[in-house]
Amino acid sequence: MTDGSAPIALTAHLAWLSSISFGGIPTVLPYVRNFVVVTHGWMTDQDFANCFALAQSLPGPNMILMMSFIGWKVWGIPGAIASALATFGPPCVLYFAAWRLWHRFRAAPWQRVVRGGLVPVTVGLVIAGGTVMAHAADADWRAAAVTVGAVVLMLRRWLNPSWILLAGGVLGGLGLL
Amino acid sequence: MVNDRQSTEPVSLASLFFAFLKVALFGAGSGIVWAHRVAVEQRSWLSEEEFADILSLCQFMPGPNVVGIAVCVGAHLRGAFGALAATAGFVLIPGTIGFSLGIFCLQYAHFVLLQHILAGMSAAAAGLLIAAGSRMLTPHRKRWLAWITATLAFTGVVFTKLPLLLVLFGAALPGIGGTASGRPRPQ
Repeated sequence: MTDGSAPIALTAHLAWLSSISFGGIPTVLPYVRNFVVVTHGWMTDQDFANCFALAQSLPGPNMILMMSFIGWKVWGIPGAIASALATFGPPCVLYFAAWRLWHRFRAAPWQRVVRGGLVPVTVGLVIAGGTVMAHAADADWRAAAVTVGAVVLMLRRWLNPSWILLAGGVLGGLGLL
Repeated sequence: MVNDRQSTEPVSLASLFFAFLKVALFGAGSGIVWAHRVAVEQRSWLSEEEFADILSLCQFMPGPNVVGIAVCVGAHLRGAFGALAATAGFVLIPGTIGFSLGIFCLQYAHFVLLQHILAGMSAAAAGLLIAAGSRMLTPHRKRWLAWITATLAFTGVVFTKLPLLLVLFGAALPGIGGTASGRPRPQ
């Protein structure tokens, strides 16, 4: 599959990305894809999209699961464990440190300013993550139509997200995509 | 550690572990909703304000947001050990179950039917992510600066090959600068 340095490179890269994933792991998905699909060719776009779809539809911590699937593809079970740890380990330390500082500075005006400036950035990053995932997943216009349909249904809050995923799976399973 | 919870009994590490185990198992796709339900409504560990505080901290910190909620709730109730217990509850068992199920599916991913199902689900899942991002903009939709910084970040990722840190700073600096120079919004 790959030489011995691959798991280390993947783990180190995931640890770095998770430490700067302001707004959540989905904000760095395009960079994970770039690293594993484009730069190293460890998996195809379709594999990457599969990992994402499975992680979103299974119970449990989705993004940690997704990275463990990627780690598993590159280096089996040890790769999965290393990738999962790299995804939540560094952020956990940051969360804990931030929590201790939070109360001390909660009234500070700069905190409102930083949040007001940073939240829209994370919005742009999350939408970009979704767009890159759509690009990886949507082979043709019919799959793209499913993506657009999912956006609309989710924004209108007509359906629970699990039903939207299920509907996508059913449409695909019936061979309509 | 003193806090303003109603009950005086310290929360046990085991109950933190099981509370977040429950959040992970039931909260597929909506962990934040379940974290709120368990920590605020069912166990009264936190007030609404305390939960909102934790949530807003976790939403802009790096990392998986719901894990952040586990760390903060655990730390709030029982310090470092509480954070460890809550995180372990959230990750260990649900992660193992989800991983086994996922690997089982991935091993059969070459079967045509499963391939088609996965293709449909990944198209839908990409849409859910786009919608979730768009929704986060709702509280900021009246600030044109928010639209500009969001667009900058989006463009930086999708249309350029710039490293993430550069995109982050490039979009965050005008955003933070503009927010700092604007008048304070009434909350």
